[in-house]
Amino acid sequence: MSTATIPTRFAADFRAICGAEHVSEDPAQLQAWNILGVAPALAVTPASADEIAGILRFANEHGLSVVPAGGFTQQQVGNPPPQIDVVLFTARLTAVEHYDVGDLTVGIGAGCTVAQLSAMVAKDGLFFAGDPAQPERSTIGGLLATGLYGPLRHGYGGLRDYCIGVRFVTGDGRKAKGGGRVVKNVAGYDMMKLLIGSQGTLGIITSASFKLFPAPRQTRTFVAVFPSAAEALQFRSQVLRSPLDPICLELVSPQAHELLAPGSPAAAGWSICLRAAGSETVLARYRTELGTAVVREMEGANEQGFWRTLSDFSPLAAERHPRSLLISMTLPVRDVQSVLNEVSTVAESNHFLFAAIGRVGIAHLLVSLWPAPDAEDSLVSFVDTVSGLRNRVPRDASLAVLHCPSETRHHISAWGPMPTDLESMRAVKMALDPKDILNRGRFLF
Amino acid sequence: MPVNLPGLVEHLREIAGRDAVLDRPEDLMLYEYDAGIRKSTPGAVVFPQNTEQVSQIMRLATALNVAVVARGAGTGLSGGSIPQAGGLVIAFSRMNRILEVDVENQRATVRPGVVNLQLSEHVSHLGLYFAPDPSSQKACTIGGNVAENSGGPHTLMHGVTVNHVTGVEVVMPSGEIVHFGGKAAESYGYDLTGFMVGSEGTVGIVTAITVKLLRKPEKIATLLGVFESVDDAALTVSAITAAGITPAALEMLDGWTLRTVEAFCHAGYPLDAGAVLLIELEGLREAVEEQAIAVREVCLSQKAREVRRAKDDDERALLWKGRKMAFAALGRVTPSYYTQDGVVPRSQIPAVMRHIGNVAKKYDLTIGNIFHAGDGNLHPLILFDMRNAEQFERVLSASSEILEFCIQCGGSITGEHGVGLEKRDLMSRLFTEEDLDVMISLRNAFNGRDILNPQKIFPTPRMCREITGPSQNPVLMQEGL
Repeated sequence: MSTATIPTRFAADFRAICGAEHVSEDPAQLQAWNILGVAPALAVTPASADEIAGILRFANEHGLSVVPAGGFTQQQVGNPPPQIDVVLFTARLTAVEHYDVGDLTVGIGAGCTVAQLSAMVAKDGLFFAGDPAQPERSTIGGLLATGLYGPLRHGYGGLRDYCIGVRFVTGDGRKAKGGGRVVKNVAGYDMMKLLIGSQGTLGIITSASFKLFPAPRQTRTFVAVFPSAAEALQFRSQVLRSPLDPICLELVSPQAHELLAPGSPAAAGWSICLRAAGSETVLARYRTELGTAVVREMEGANEQGFWRTLSDFSPLAAERHPRSLLISMTLPVRDVQSVLNEVSTVAESNHFLFAAIGRVGIAHLLVSLWPAPDAEDSLVSFVDTVSGLRNRVPRDASLAVLHCPSETRHHISAWGPMPTDLESMRAVKMALDPKDILNRGRFLF
Repeated sequence: MPVNLPGLVEHLREIAGRDAVLDRPEDLMLYEYDAGIRKSTPGAVVFPQNTEQVSQIMRLATALNVAVVARGAGTGLSGGSIPQAGGLVIAFSRMNRILEVDVENQRATVRPGVVNLQLSEHVSHLGLYFAPDPSSQKACTIGGNVAENSGGPHTLMHGVTVNHVTGVEVVMPSGEIVHFGGKAAESYGYDLTGFMVGSEGTVGIVTAITVKLLRKPEKIATLLGVFESVDDAALTVSAITAAGITPAALEMLDGWTLRTVEAFCHAGYPLDAGAVLLIELEGLREAVEEQAIAVREVCLSQKAREVRRAKDDDERALLWKGRKMAFAALGRVTPSYYTQDGVVPRSQIPAVMRHIGNVAKKYDLTIGNIFHAGDGNLHPLILFDMRNAEQFERVLSASSEILEFCIQCGGSITGEHGVGLEKRDLMSRLFTEEDLDVMISLRNAFNGRDILNPQKIFPTPRMCREITGPSQNPVLMQEGL
């Protein structure tokens, strides 16, 4: 582990900005906040966008690297930072900016957790559609910055569809915003799109506004099991062509089933798990359309628990198999089958096993791969598995390695080729964070 | 801007062909306006046929420092496609091919000049359609939709253009051709596709667009709620939202507008109503039937005089014809009208409708209302006669007061038409100087010499300082363009 040191006089400046009690230099605490083994030199917990602007202006002036942090659930994702001068927590930015129940909109501080927001709106029969892993820790700012989503992405769209406004501070300390609090708004550039999935490299999000949805009165989950991925995906295509309009449409591989429900009777095959919302009449129609392929229905706490666990696939997989790869892929829908074939081929040739889940209606896959019990666990096999997959994914796909054994980190790039022009992305980075203060070395540049 | 125009035109002809450039005054006149109220004459219009030509044109324009604006069908309402005087218009009417329809991925890739409705018609036999449906969809192009992030009635359920674009090919001012996104719903990296949509032609010129195609719903129910007053209809809009029903579309026509429309196209609107709501529900048959019952109940509980339901596709088409032909109908009763595009939180619709009524009285103007009530996107239509300068002044003041009300209740100055020339000086009312400075630094990152659609979106620095409030007149301040 390495710890950066920044001159004590800088710490005094940060204390002046946000108060001594909100600046930490405690080595043990800083070590706990290490990112891939690199510990920050200083932690600050500012109270406002103004304080964040002050901190970033200062950091920008002195060339200090800053890591924005929410619930620390995704900080091990990305390339290892060369050095971290400051870790900046958004925990004190939790104010509700607006909550318009009749309009189905809410604006909330970046430090609020997803679970807190969901609980707040649930009281009024509303529903926040973000369902990342670990919602009790995951914050709104982190959710936007990482662009994470879960199974509900199928029916409710992604953050880019229901985030209607954002406030942030650029790397050079300018306070900025995009959008607003109304559901339809095209005034000015769409800054929400730039910040969602920017991995904290363009600005520090201080608050955001969202569309909310009416909470479904009841839901039901239908599970269909197939001997092969191909047959499961055929069923998926049949659902996509049907008039059915599920809120989740998820593929679960046999190993993934075992991983999600350890000790349960091993699933014989590949499942399609379809979650529908509606009245008994509507659900009856689902039953008719889906036919005999459905072997199981879930409802109530059982159903809630299932989807909650599925959302937590990433941390569960990394916990169960610490020496594993966790790969996230976005694809054109048609390519899911061929990519799963490639995963299988590459895994086999490197003596790996794999568990896959995914939003197969929109083609987002999460795949965990680990060495088979009898196989040699070598650095080369991990590196070869990733490069094997990167070489085989189709055009228009993008593939990120969210987790890998620590000693392989320096040999495996977290982010591979992307469909979007790199130089244009660099131009955006230069415009908002010209000195590369934010999450230096961790994302694209 | 010292431009050797004859030289420019000759170069353009070499690039795009002899018949692909206009420079005679009588031809240029056709390219000096859009569907709004501003005018400015370009120096030349070029009609490229492929991306490579657009790239060469951009290289030339950059070298000669000529302002460039891309133009689709010119149906915009905010002055987005109005050229700088003497500048160059790149017209996309010859880049109008549907390049690919990928049924399995539910994507189409199109050139910017493809007409919005043409795409839906082209894929209709596959059970698919392109969801954004601006009222001008028979004429407007998808390139223009991308530039302005256009909406339409059905964006209530399906979202505006940006929610339907997954990839773009872009020509930068340098002439470089780049790609953002592709067929996947999302990808890692900055979402420059999302950023391009709605950038109003100030960042790059889009030359190909990959869009989502949606599957046609199994069932559509179209209801007409008839109300004695605008107030009752407005309260019903809030009540429908609050009841947790998301219609596919929820449109309001006030009494004056529906009578004007009815006289023109006989859609079957009741002539003595104070307002009507056009409510469309779509989805699974069973779900639509349940929602139709719920909507009817909400309407009746909010004092609807009656709720009709279209019996078949013909009746449905007729109800929509009234909505979509409204602007044409207005042309029969007024020499000109000014369309505003303000947005309010949905719960504020009753209040904003009362405000618009008061503004009309105060300035002695006729203001019709036909708008996307479900998402709070207003379209007050202020009637005027261009020859009456004093009246036009009142129109602009009325318009400012309406937008000011939208801003004060937390809304926006534009929901789907874009800022363009028309509302750029109101941007300072929504955004701080620092907010705008950050946006401008992004524009400069791509378009540093400001040759792409200059004078759009952002207030000029002079305006930024001088504009103080709603009493300032947004359009007149642009004189001198």
